[in-house]
Amino acid sequence: MSGSDLVNISTKNLSFSYKYSYTKSLNNITINIKNGVKTVILGSNGAGKSTLFFQLNGVIKPDIGSVKIDGVTLKYRRKDLKFARSKIYIVFQNPDEQIFGQTVEDDIAYSLRNIGMSKDLIAERVEDALFQTGLTEIREKSTLQLSYGQKKRLIIAGAIAMRPKVLIMDEPTAGLDPQMSLEVMEIIEYLHYNGTTIVMSTHDVNLAYAWADEINVLRKGELIYTGVPETFFSDLPAVYSSGMILPSIFVINKSICSMKGISEAPHPRTETQLFSKLASGPKGTLIIADIKNIENIPEGTHIGVFGVIAKKTVNDRKLKVDYCFNGFELCVGDCISGTNATLICDAGCIPLVEYKLSILRNMGSDIPYRTLGRGDA
Amino acid sequence: MAVPLFETENLEFSYNSRQSRPSLDNINIAIHKGVRAVVLGANGAGKSTLFYQLNGVLKPKKGVVKYNGKPIDYSQNSLYALRNEVCVAVQNPDEQIFSVTVEEDIAFGLFNTGVHREIIDKSIDDALFKVGMAGYRKKPVSQISKGQRKRVALAGAFAVNPKVLILDEPTAGLDPQTSCEVMEAIDQISITGTSVIISTHDVDLAYAWADEIYVLKNGKMIYSGEPGAFFSDKKSVISAELAIPHSFSVNSYICSMRGESETPYPRTDSQVICKILPSDAKVGKIRLIRTSKSVPDIGKIDERIGIYGFNTRRLFMDSGLPVDYNFNAVEHCIIEALNGNNVTLYCDECIADKIDSRIKSLSQFGKCPEVI
Repeated sequence: MSGSDLVNISTKNLSFSYKYSYTKSLNNITINIKNGVKTVILGSNGAGKSTLFFQLNGVIKPDIGSVKIDGVTLKYRRKDLKFARSKIYIVFQNPDEQIFGQTVEDDIAYSLRNIGMSKDLIAERVEDALFQTGLTEIREKSTLQLSYGQKKRLIIAGAIAMRPKVLIMDEPTAGLDPQMSLEVMEIIEYLHYNGTTIVMSTHDVNLAYAWADEINVLRKGELIYTGVPETFFSDLPAVYSSGMILPSIFVINKSICSMKGISEAPHPRTETQLFSKLASGPKGTLIIADIKNIENIPEGTHIGVFGVIAKKTVNDRKLKVDYCFNGFELCVGDCISGTNATLICDAGCIPLVEYKLSILRNMGSDIPYRTLGRGDA
Repeated sequence: MAVPLFETENLEFSYNSRQSRPSLDNINIAIHKGVRAVVLGANGAGKSTLFYQLNGVLKPKKGVVKYNGKPIDYSQNSLYALRNEVCVAVQNPDEQIFSVTVEEDIAFGLFNTGVHREIIDKSIDDALFKVGMAGYRKKPVSQISKGQRKRVALAGAFAVNPKVLILDEPTAGLDPQTSCEVMEAIDQISITGTSVIISTHDVDLAYAWADEIYVLKNGKMIYSGEPGAFFSDKKSVISAELAIPHSFSVNSYICSMRGESETPYPRTDSQVICKILPSDAKVGKIRLIRTSKSVPDIGKIDERIGIYGFNTRRLFMDSGLPVDYNFNAVEHCIIEALNGNNVTLYCDECIADKIDSRIKSLSQFGKCPEVI
């Protein structure tokens, strides 16, 4: 993960109107999307989120202003667009607009064939993308027979296979039911942790608040805020005039802090972060097990799963699990309440889990953990 | 006991004979008049299929559907009568919009139910206002966004003023404020006598709004009753592919920390805050003002102002009076008061008593703001 402030994509004074429209869909937008920063574009229906996204990889050309990718101004020649799209991939809101293949694996291979990749490499990439999105089982299924949630995962798989530096996702969880959105968010979290810069649009303030490092708020085509979420949500008139509401956790933290007379910062963004801030008393231990160590899990604790591979393994082996989704939050919730819990996760996800625990430590709860097969931490 | 509004007995339905399992399997529900009912379930659980049974669009393969105690008779005349009283707004507005312009589309339903021409004009205005689409009357439906079409479809349902309103995912795809506006409209409609049944997979919404929930999983009903008991059974929630509402988990955590009982379950942010408020906290007052036909004289007050209800909203918008809480105002005003500040809430005459008792019912959770 790069911590540098290198600007990956930026726009300068960008304006755009659709043909026959009297109003500007985007008005004088100057935005910087930084490498490795979890960026959310927040805005109500019709604020210009999707229109902005289509500017970023050159699908739409601005009327005024420019787009820069890695410091180079985007020209709209074929060669430049090809270069831009090899680095920046957009996952559309409506999966039906982006599925072209007859079968699941065929669809994932589609873009790879388009850029002339060798057969062997395509096979390898497809395999990996299927695995990461949990679609391996249905690789030969016709794309016409997929559920909405499977289609959403398929277009993400298509994106993963392209290994873009920047992944732009338009409302990735819209229309998904709660568990499926959490599953998609887990995939996104994993991709980000492994070095893909992710930009997503949403109007779900709870989701934006929990996930984003930086939010950019659009209102009727204008960019009205860029920065950390808390500053924006503290400015009620701005929140309301942009069609948003306050995230639940933000409201509750604010009230509790004003009651107790303590500072609102550090701002908890998730339930477990909020609990970590409030908790006192002994904590349970979080036992982390990768899939190789499933046999060694001690008995008597609640078991949660985190990560696509872990989920699949648990399913295949028909293991009894208490929290088959949102495993991290629910297991850690147990630990904060003083009971031990076990989290089965992909080996690659362990550092991510440790990182998430470190955020809770900053909130005030040091949750002891040990990783099976690695000695005690 | 009163006859339920809707009752199904061993209802079973499949779309075709090749299905591996029925879309609805042995469903027994009894929804009573005036009860805020939510049908909760993941995508594909059978929510929409169930709704189509209730207004006779689909006919059960086995079992019966009763409306007001009488089995639905699928003859043309009685279906016509049924649909005059029971209105379903489907999830995807494009399946329900038939006309070229917004006003024509809303008039379509009104004409069909035999409303007098002179009333139609005002009904269209009112219905569009309720969903925050007042300026869009003459617009072609092809030129408005999906979220706006969704609101037009809802306005069409509100306009016919049905006895029962069945809404399939009314807030899906709408941004947060628009969702609040739509929920406020639904709230007012249900307070003023229409029975409302909603389907959703938004657990926070269901938890905050419903008196009763009916949980579907793979076509089977796995729970019916008040929401608190369902969400306290984590295993069932997870197996139904749902999530636990924020208010529920915050409450359950805080209660376990303090060693208190989880009941009564707070279901909104304001109820959670009320419950955790220390007993010596200073609580503000809520000045509840019933708006009449004329523009209220706000005078000089340095309190925050919230508005609730169609009439009030219209008065404030027409006169350009300043408002701090334009939407979800009851909730906002309560939180403001719990934080120790006085607030003023303007609301429609017809719902004021209900709002008053809603604020007072906070006393079951802890210290509640005084209403003056």
